Amino acid sequence: MSSAPQLQRSQSDFGVFVGKTARTAVLVVASLWVLGPLFFMVIASFKSVPEFFINPFGLPKEWKIENYSRAWTDAQLSLTLPNTIIVTTVAVLVSTFLATMIAYGLSRKEKKFAMGLYTLFVAGLLVPVHAIILPLFIVLKAVGLFGTLLALIVPYIAMGLPLGVLVLTPIAAALPRDLVHAARMDGATEWQIFIRIVLPLMKPGLISVAILNGVWMWNEFFIPLILAFKPEVQTMPVGIVSFIGSYSTEWGLVFSSVVVSTLPVVIAYLLMTRQFQSGLTAGAVKG
Amino acid sequence: MTQATLPKPPSQFSLRYGHLWFVLPGFLFFLAVMLLPLAFAFGVSMTNWSGLGNDLSFVGLANYAEILTYYPFYRAAFHNAVIFIAILIFQHTIGLYLAVLLNEKPRFMQFYRTVLFLPVIMSLVATGFVWTLMLSPNIGLVNPMLEAIGLGFLAGQWLSQPGTALAVIVFVTAWNSMGWSIIIYLSGLQNVPEELKQAAAMDGANTRQIFWRVVFPQLSPAFTALTVLTFIGTFRTFDVVYVLTGPLGAPNFGTDVLGTLIYRTAFGGSSFSSAEIRFAFGVAMALLMMVVMAAICWGLIRILRSREIEG
Repeated sequence: MSSAPQLQRSQSDFGVFVGKTARTAVLVVASLWVLGPLFFMVIASFKSVPEFFINPFGLPKEWKIENYSRAWTDAQLSLTLPNTIIVTTVAVLVSTFLATMIAYGLSRKEKKFAMGLYTLFVAGLLVPVHAIILPLFIVLKAVGLFGTLLALIVPYIAMGLPLGVLVLTPIAAALPRDLVHAARMDGATEWQIFIRIVLPLMKPGLISVAILNGVWMWNEFFIPLILAFKPEVQTMPVGIVSFIGSYSTEWGLVFSSVVVSTLPVVIAYLLMTRQFQSGLTAGAVKG
Repeated sequence: MTQATLPKPPSQFSLRYGHLWFVLPGFLFFLAVMLLPLAFAFGVSMTNWSGLGNDLSFVGLANYAEILTYYPFYRAAFHNAVIFIAILIFQHTIGLYLAVLLNEKPRFMQFYRTVLFLPVIMSLVATGFVWTLMLSPNIGLVNPMLEAIGLGFLAGQWLSQPGTALAVIVFVTAWNSMGWSIIIYLSGLQNVPEELKQAAAMDGANTRQIFWRVVFPQLSPAFTALTVLTFIGTFRTFDVVYVLTGPLGAPNFGTDVLGTLIYRTAFGGSSFSSAEIRFAFGVAMALLMMVVMAAICWGLIRILRSREIEG
């Protein structure tokens, strides 16, 4: 009786070893599948155009740092990088703040219109940008925002609200009401309660929403494609695509622009991997 | 004296509607950017407006009726459906498998997890350029690599052959979105109670049985979330196609999706003259797509949720 399990275990030891190696191999292959193309892109961003053809996958013989300085001037990154930073920062801050206010205002379901407004905001997730963008274009032009960065900031603020309300309302509803009541008894105004008590308590949720909205606003392509027609008001994804339209053989510049546009998000991600993963997943699972 | 320092009692009005002050500022943005343009778009969809000039007349539901027999709409929707099904299968097989591997806490787990999620935070434009570098006929690396290892006969014009172009779009979308399935399934796996698995093991279930009978049913909320997310994401495909095969969905509309079709119809693609821009018709397509997608989403969630309760 005792020898049979013994035998089984020695077989499975070998099996475990093979299985473990195979599993590691799968993970390594998957990681290479992700990192390989990124590695080649970084290499490519330092190559001169002829080297793309003579020496496709080796390291560049001569590292063309000036691809980056030329991307800064010729591919207009000197305009589109600051634009992207300004648009994303302002829109994320305002949108998250407004979404928190809405979430707090709607967090008590028994209040007037709370459920209806909540549903309305969340339904905004389904609105296709394609349908509203030309009316938006007409409105922005009529009020004189077209041709300024506000033509992107204002729509982004509004389009960030549905996800923000979706993620933040349950968090606001779970806040301890005693704290709010106590503050009210002490004579705090509703606004003071919101700023001093509600906002700090909701900080983890706020960070999730800020990351969630920040990533799509930084990366958004379609909205600026329609609403930002010149480099002075474009963000990087559109700037790069319109650059490639005019200099389609300057591959080194294209890839250095792509690296510059991606690097800030990657650095933020590497510094706050956990918050990015849980923040983005929180929005996705609830959405 | 104490009476004076007490706040005055809130009026009946502010008790009933006071919370709405917090909603108002955001609501104004929402109204101006989403609701009014949407209402305007609905009005426009019942005209024949081209998007420029004042030449328009009311045509009722004629645009919607035309869509029902408009072949490019079905072709584009079919491509979206192909991308959706392929990504769905990919997420629930390879994505799930990678999540299971990570859940076994291998060495360097943190590293794999960080790397595999990385493409999710990259823009689809950047993703498109990364894969242009790999697959383009001019500067692509995959063809010279295949030649270098003696598989030159496999090299091809990936992005311009009808047979492979759509597959490339799927492949690139899979690269960009794999991290979602891994992270969502991983957090699902981590929520499976250890006792359940131990109890099953005590009852003599093997690893495979434990996974399929005990763990997998527990993952159904993750399955639901991921399916709905994939549905919304794939039916909104635009950037990847725009960068890799252009707004025309080359070759010969072989990668044309609803996003590019609506974009071309409403705003004009590079090779379309302004005479062919039919803004109202494009808007009608976008609105119809919104209604159909909302209905399918609602149905998907209902079906998948009921499955969750049974599981």
